[in-house]
Parts: sequence; C-alpha cells; structure tokens
Amino acid sequence: MNDTWNQVLGALPTIFVAITILAQFLAVTIKRDPRVTHAVTVVGLNLSLLSLIGLVAFAPIAVGPLFEVDPYALFFWAVVLIAGLAGSTFARPYLAGFEDRRDEFYILLVTSVLGAMALIASRHFAGLFIGLELLSIPLYGMIAYTFRTRAALEAAFKYLILSGAASAFLLFGMALLYAASGQLTYHSLSVAAAAGLGTSSDAWLLMGVGMMLVALMFKLSLVPFHIWTPDVYEGAPAPVGAFLATVSKTAVFAVLLRFFVVSPVTDNTWLIFLIGVIAVVSMLVGNLLALRQDNVKRILGYSSIAHIGYLMTAIVAGAPLSIEAVAIYLATYVGTSLGAFGVVALVSSPFSGKDAAHIDHFRGLYYKRPVLAVSMALMMLSLAGIPLTMGFIGKFFILSVAMASGLWWLAGAIIIGSGIALFYYLRVMAVLFMDRPASARELVADAPGLRYGQFIIWLLAALTVLIGIYPSPLIWLASAAGIVIPA
Amino acid sequence: MTGLPISYGIGLAALLFLMGFAGLVIRRNTLFILMCLEIMMNAAGLAFIVAGAQWQAADGNVMFILIITVAAAEAAIGLGLLLQLQKRFRTIDIDAASEMHG
Repeated sequence: MNDTWNQVLGALPTIFVAITILAQFLAVTIKRDPRVTHAVTVVGLNLSLLSLIGLVAFAPIAVGPLFEVDPYALFFWAVVLIAGLAGSTFARPYLAGFEDRRDEFYILLVTSVLGAMALIASRHFAGLFIGLELLSIPLYGMIAYTFRTRAALEAAFKYLILSGAASAFLLFGMALLYAASGQLTYHSLSVAAAAGLGTSSDAWLLMGVGMMLVALMFKLSLVPFHIWTPDVYEGAPAPVGAFLATVSKTAVFAVLLRFFVVSPVTDNTWLIFLIGVIAVVSMLVGNLLALRQDNVKRILGYSSIAHIGYLMTAIVAGAPLSIEAVAIYLATYVGTSLGAFGVVALVSSPFSGKDAAHIDHFRGLYYKRPVLAVSMALMMLSLAGIPLTMGFIGKFFILSVAMASGLWWLAGAIIIGSGIALFYYLRVMAVLFMDRPASARELVADAPGLRYGQFIIWLLAALTVLIGIYPSPLIWLASAAGIVIPA
Repeated sequence: MTGLPISYGIGLAALLFLMGFAGLVIRRNTLFILMCLEIMMNAAGLAFIVAGAQWQAADGNVMFILIITVAAAEAAIGLGLLLQLQKRFRTIDIDAASEMHG
C-alpha cells in the first residue's frame, strides 16, 4: 500500500497534466472560449511544475516497470513543461486571426507534453513507444492546424509519413531486441546481453539497436534523416515550430541518452564511431545549407540539425560528465529556440494565411518593435554561442566534454560549424536594424494575448543574458540531474 | 512451443517490413503510402508475436495490442489529412502536392 502511494507521488506531475487535458475537454464542452482553454492550460502546467519542486526530495521513484522518476527525469520534465507553457502562450495571439475552432489546439499541445513526459521517464520499451507516439500524433494535428494553408497541410503530411516510418523502424528494432533477449526494459536487456546470447542473437541485437537509432535520429533530424526538417519547420504554424523544435527534440534526446547510459548493449566501438561521423556530418551539412536560406523558419530548421549534431558529441564521449553537459546544452538551446520562434510567431500574429517568416519581413523590425528586435538579436547571438549569452555556456560544456574524452576531431568540427553558423545568424541580426522598406507588412498593434507572448519573450531574453553572465544556478541544477541505473 | 524455429517467423516479418518500406519509397499515391505504413507497423507486430511465443511471455502480445492501437490512430489522422489534401491540391500524388523546396 505504502509503495502504491509512493508511485502515485512519483507520477503526480503527469497526473496533473492528464487532469489538465480532461479539464480542457470539459471547458470546451461548456463554453468555447480560447481565453478559458488557455487559462486552464497555464494553470495545469504550472501546477505540474510546482509538484516537480515537491518531488525533488523523494526522487528517484520507480513508477511500475515502465517509468523511472529520477532527478534526470525531473530536470527534463521541467524543461518540457516550460516549453509547453511558452508554446501555448505564443499560440494565443497567433490563433486570434484563425477563423475556425481554436480551443482544440491547447488540448493537442498538452497531450503532446504528456507524451514527452512519458518518453523522458521511460525505462521500458512499452513506455518509450507510448511516449513517442503520444508526443508525435498530436503534433500531426498541430502542424496541420491551419489546414487551409497548403504549406501547413503539406508539412503535416510529410511529417506523418516519415514519422510513421520512423515508428515502424523503432518497433521492429525493439522486436529484434526482444527476440534476441526476451527482455523489454533497458536495464534487464543489458544484463541479458552481458550474460551472452550466442552469435545469431548478437547480430539481432546490433540490428535492433541500429533500427532504433535510425528512428530516434529521424526524430532528432540528424543528417541522413534530416530532409523533412526545413519543410516541416517552414510549413508548420510558428508556435508549433517553437513546440516542435523544443519539446520534441528535448524529449527524444533525453530518452536516447538514458538508453545509452542504462543499456550497455549500445557499447560497441563501431556503432559509437558511426554516431560520431553522423554528428560531424550533421554539424557541417546543417550549417552549410542554412547559409543559402531566406526564410527564418528554414534557417532555424537547418540550425537545429547542426545543434543536435553538437549534442551528439556528448553521446560519443559517454563520459559521466556528458549527462550534465547535455542537460545544460538542451536547457539553453530550448530557451533560445523558444525565443527565436516566439518572435517569429508574434511578428506573424494574428494568423492571416502566411507567416511573416521571410527575412525581408524582419528588415527594420527595430524601428517598429524595438524590444522584439533586440530579443531576436540576443537569441541569434545565443544560438551562435557568443560569450555572455547562455548559448555560449552550453557550447562550452559540450566542447569541454569532447576535449576531456580526447575527441579532437569532434571538437574541431564543432568549432568549424560554429564559425560557419556565425555568418547566417549575424545576417538575420543585421537585417533587424536596417531601414524598414515601405512595402513591409504592417505589424498589428494588439491582438488578444499578445502582451503575454511579449512578456515571455522579455523573460527569455533576460534569462539569456543572466545565465550567460551567471550560469552557476543552471550548472548546479544540471549537475544534480543524474540518471538512476536500477540495481 | 514446438515446430518452426524463431528465425522463420522473424524472417517473414522482416520480409513484410521490407515490402512495406519499398512501397513507401516507390509509391507516389498517398493512399498506397498509408497502406505501406500499415504493413510496416504490422510487420513489427508480427515480429513481437513471434518473439513472445518464443519466450513464452505475454509481453509480445501486449506490445502487439499497443501497436495496433497506435497504427489505427495514425491511419485515422492520415486519412483525415488525405481528404484535406485532395480538397486543397486536387490530387493525392505526393510529388504534385510538394511545393516547398530548398
């Protein structure tokens, strides 16, 4: 009995999120009002965030055989919840111009957050699969939410097909691992593998891990599997882009790292080398292709490919320090991506058919919306990893992990990639302060909820500088976010 | 469990999976692409059933039920998008409906 309550306690943040979804459904059936649905979303996600603080003292808690609520999970839950809150707040003014039902967007968003939370805490293949699908399936609906624009529809369909294929790869990989070992939790899988399974089973193990990696790398848009990224980022409504770039990437990377740390099945020099090569190619291809883009959302899409490439360095290094480095890098990356996409969303608000994402739309933004323009400039500096912004702290940690493990070629690729990236980030930044052309799209002075969106942007901009100057609190939090390996 | 060795079952599942994947890559009609996705999902389900029978455990069957559920959800959304695609683009050819480049 005591144990049961303990498990309920561990699942409390997810229970709050699930109750939020039910409350949203109820609110929609009583009265359709985006204000109410958004308010329910904000209250529910904040309650869940608060319960995280209470849980710190009790972690780690194993919730059934499927989930492990350890400090690592708590840290990434917080990241995902904050990103979900910001995403829903950007959606309010954006959807004000959308002439159809607007409330369902928040339901989809919170469902997706719940999936991300399940994914982060999963320690069993069933948990991994449910989490990944609960994260992805609402995303199809969110990408296609403004379904009357052809770009959104096309983006959603591309994402659906490729993501479905990736899920099939993931499942087949799991099935092979299960066939070889008879185990479904990451940990017992590694125990069975260590005991020796015979040669044919070893081949199945390697194939299984390989297929699972293909699926997760697809979700992370690493290089051979990156083709969907720019199209989906461009076609998706800007607030969904913010969500996709942060929540989905964070959750998938968190589970990838947990799998690698808990399950030494992945301990294969050949496999690790291959991941290193993929990381380097992602950094170079992502940054080089971003150079010739004129659409800010596409630039952010390509830059996300490069950023995840930098992150993969930590997986190759596999040092105990890598968890801390990944936590810091992902937190800073999520903060800056949210800010950059948030500015795109607010400039495009309210929705009127096509987002103001072309680089010309940002020309001279400084003279119309000085705060948004300065925030955007800060986000670009942070993405480029300029000192005194939080992006620098993340990049510094990844570089130090690469050097501590003697991975000089990866460290070199990070530096070259960052050098290339500087060019297109600074290009976006410079445009903000140029003369505004007479033909520029008129910015709407006020839309419902625009103030809240701007408030989040200010907050993120302030955080970018604050953490850049004084990173100790973030480093302290990240160093506490350890993965618990079940005994 | 007697009779067929496990590699036969896994081999059949792998064959189905490859067929589905090949169809996904080759087909241009979105309806057929969705069908190929179903084949791939169900191939993975079959592999789970075979492995579950081998290990005499219910895990494989449980995973299969999860897979069917998710495959149904994906198909529902996929068909919904397909209808919209036909309405907006007047075609269900994936290449004709692809306008974003670069």
